[in-house]
Amino acid sequence: MAHSFPELVIGGVLVAPFVTYLVAALVVIIVLRPILHFVGFAKMFSNARIAEVSLYVTILGSLMLLF
Amino acid sequence: MVVTIAQQPFSMAKVSASSWNFAVRLWLATILALLVSFWLQLEAPSTAAVTVAILAEPTRGQALEKAAFRLVATIVGVTASIAITGLFSQARDLILAASALWLGLCVFAAKLLDGYRAYAAVLSGYTAANIAVQQIDNPQHVFEASVERGAAIAVGIMSIAVVNVFMSAPDRHPRLAAQLAAIHRRVRDYASATPRGNRGNSATFLALVQEIVGLRPQIESIALESSSGSVRSAAARSAAVGLVAELQAARILTTAPAHFDIAARDQTSAAVDRLDGSSLQWRMPARSVDLQNHVPDATTETSSWKIRELLRIDETVRQDLLALRSVRWPSRLQRAPLYRSCRIAADSAVRATLWFAIAATFFVWAGWSAASASLYLVAAIAALGLTTPNPRGYTAIALVGAPIAVVVAGILEFVVLDGADAFPVLAIALAPSTIGAALLTTSQNPLWSGLGRINLIAVPTILALSNPQTYNPQTFLFTSLFVVAATAVLLAAQMLIPPASDDKQRMRLLAEARDELQEPDTKDSDPNEAAFRDASRIAQFLSAGGVRDDHALSEMLSCFDRSATVRLCNAKLMQLAEGPFAQLAHQAHAAIAARDTASLRAIAIELREKASHKDSVEADVAACLVLTSDIIDGRSGAHSFQEAT
Repeated sequence: MAHSFPELVIGGVLVAPFVTYLVAALVVIIVLRPILHFVGFAKMFSNARIAEVSLYVTILGSLMLLF
Repeated sequence: MVVTIAQQPFSMAKVSASSWNFAVRLWLATILALLVSFWLQLEAPSTAAVTVAILAEPTRGQALEKAAFRLVATIVGVTASIAITGLFSQARDLILAASALWLGLCVFAAKLLDGYRAYAAVLSGYTAANIAVQQIDNPQHVFEASVERGAAIAVGIMSIAVVNVFMSAPDRHPRLAAQLAAIHRRVRDYASATPRGNRGNSATFLALVQEIVGLRPQIESIALESSSGSVRSAAARSAAVGLVAELQAARILTTAPAHFDIAARDQTSAAVDRLDGSSLQWRMPARSVDLQNHVPDATTETSSWKIRELLRIDETVRQDLLALRSVRWPSRLQRAPLYRSCRIAADSAVRATLWFAIAATFFVWAGWSAASASLYLVAAIAALGLTTPNPRGYTAIALVGAPIAVVVAGILEFVVLDGADAFPVLAIALAPSTIGAALLTTSQNPLWSGLGRINLIAVPTILALSNPQTYNPQTFLFTSLFVVAATAVLLAAQMLIPPASDDKQRMRLLAEARDELQEPDTKDSDPNEAAFRDASRIAQFLSAGGVRDDHALSEMLSCFDRSATVRLCNAKLMQLAEGPFAQLAHQAHAAIAARDTASLRAIAIELREKASHKDSVEADVAACLVLTSDIIDGRSGAHSFQEAT
C-alpha cells in the first residue's frame, strides 16, 4: 500500500510534505532537549553534535514512516 | 580580551588554521546552498548564497542563533510587506512612505535590543522594503515572492548548519568559560589592588564593565550549541551578572572614608589578599575575616561588612563558573537585562525613516524603473549601520566596498566563467572570492573585516546566480550601478541628516541616569540584575566616546555607585521587614527615599545596639546603612575617580 503524505496548503501555495516533517522533527527535538540534558546525552558521545544531527534524522525518518 | 594560548597555533600564510577552516566551510556551504536551490529550481538561488554569506559567523551557536532570528524576522517582514501592499496597492508613494515608517519602527526596536535580536529587528524592517518595494509594480506577486525568498533562506540556513556540523565548526562555550574565568581573575586582582590605596584603576573598572557586558550576546548564543546549551547559557549569565556585582562590591571598597585608619586598612588588604590565593584558601568562610580585635566602631564594621559582601559574591561567581564548566544549572537563575533608552532609539528611528524617505524621493524623481533594488540596499545598509556604533562609517565602508565587489563579480562573470554552464566550474570559480572575503572578515582591523563582509554579501548579490545563468552585460551593468548608487545616495542623505552625535547620546544617557537616581525604579527587581542593567548603560556610554568626557564619566560612575548601593540597602532592609525591626526598616526606607543621611546613621546606631551579635542580619543592615549614607553624602565614587584621573 502506498504511503500518502499530508498536504499543507498556505494561501494557495502547496508546501512540500517533507517541509512539514522537517518542522515537526525540529519541534520534537526542541521538546526533547531538557530530557537529553537530563540523561547526559552530550556526554555519551565523543562528537555530540553529529550524534544530535543523527538523532534529528532518526526522528525525521520515524515521523515519515509512522505518520 | 586576551586569552593566552600556550602553544603556537598552526597557521598558513600568516592566517590561522581556524580562519582557513572558517573560510573553506563558508565556501562549501555556499556551493551546497546553490546546488540545492538549483536542484529544487528555486526562483532566487542567489538569496540562498547570500544567506550563507550573512550567516558567516565563526562559531556554530552564533550561526544557528542568527539563522533562527533571520527566519523569524523574514516571516515578520513578509507579513508586514503583505499588509503594506494590501493597504496601499493602488498608491506607489504611500507604499514607499509606509515602508519608511515600518523601517523606522524596526530600527526603534533594534536600538532597544542587542546582538542578533537587533539584527532580526532591522532585518524585518528591510525585508518589507525589499518585498513591498520590489513588487511595487505588480503587488499581486507579493506572496509568491515571499515564499520564494523564505524557501531560499531556509535552504541557505540548512546548508550552513550541515556544513558546520560535519566540518566541526568550533563551539563557543569553551572559550566563553575561559573568558569569564579570566575576567573573574581580573576582578579579584582589581579587588585586592583596591584597598591598598591604589586608586589609579578606574580604567580597569571601565574595561572590565565593557568586557562583561560585551559578552552578553555570546552568552545568549551558546544556548543553541547543544542539548545542554541552555544550561550553560544560564550558568554563564548568572556568572556575568555576579561578576558585575563583584566588581561593584570591589569598587565600593574604594569608598573608604577619610578616617579609615591604617590598621583597619592593612587588615582589609590582608583579607582581600586571600583572593589571590588558590580556591582552597579562597573558600575560607567569609565571616572569619578577622577584624574582631579592632575597636568595633561604625567605620570598621562597615568595611568588614564590605569585605564579607565581596567574599560572598565572589563565592557565588565561583559556583556559577563551576556550574558552567560542569554543565549544571546555576544555584539561581538570573536575567541579564540590558539598559534601554527609548529616546535614543526614537532619535535613530526618525533618522532612519528620513534617510529612506530622502533616498526614495531621489529615486522616484530620477525615474529609473529598476531603482527598487537600490532602495532595498539603502534600507539594508542604513538599518544595519544603525546597529553599529558608527552608522556613517559603515556606509562609507560600503561605498568603498561596493565598487570592489562590482569588479570582483564582473571578473567572475565575464572573465572566469564567461558563459560556462557546468556546476563544478561555478564551484571552483567561486572559491577564490568567497574564501578570500571570508578570510578578510576574520581580520582584527575593522576596515578589512568590513570590506570582507561587504564583498562576501555583495558578490553573490551582483552575480545574481540563476540556472541557467544569463550572462547579460546590461543586467550586470545596471545592478552594479544601482549598488553603487544606493550607497552613494545613502551617504549623501547621512551627510544631510547626520546620525545622532556621540555627545548627544552621552548627555541623554547621563540625564536618564540622573533621573533614575531621583526617582528610583520601584519595581521589585534583584539588585544584581539592576546593577547589570546599569553596567550596560555605562558600556553604552563608553561606546559613545565616554572615556574622553572625564566630567560626565565621573558623574555617570557616581550615579552607578549610588543607585547600586541604595538598591542593595533596600534589598537588605527587606530582610528586616517581617521581624521585630519592621518599624525601623520602614523608617530607613523612608530616609533613603528622602536622602536623609542623618536619620540613616541614627537608625544604623540603633540597629547595631539592638543587634544580637556581631554577624547578625541587623548588624549587616546597620553597616549597609552607614555605607549608603557615606555614598549619598558623596564621600565616594565620583571623588575617587577624580582623584584617579
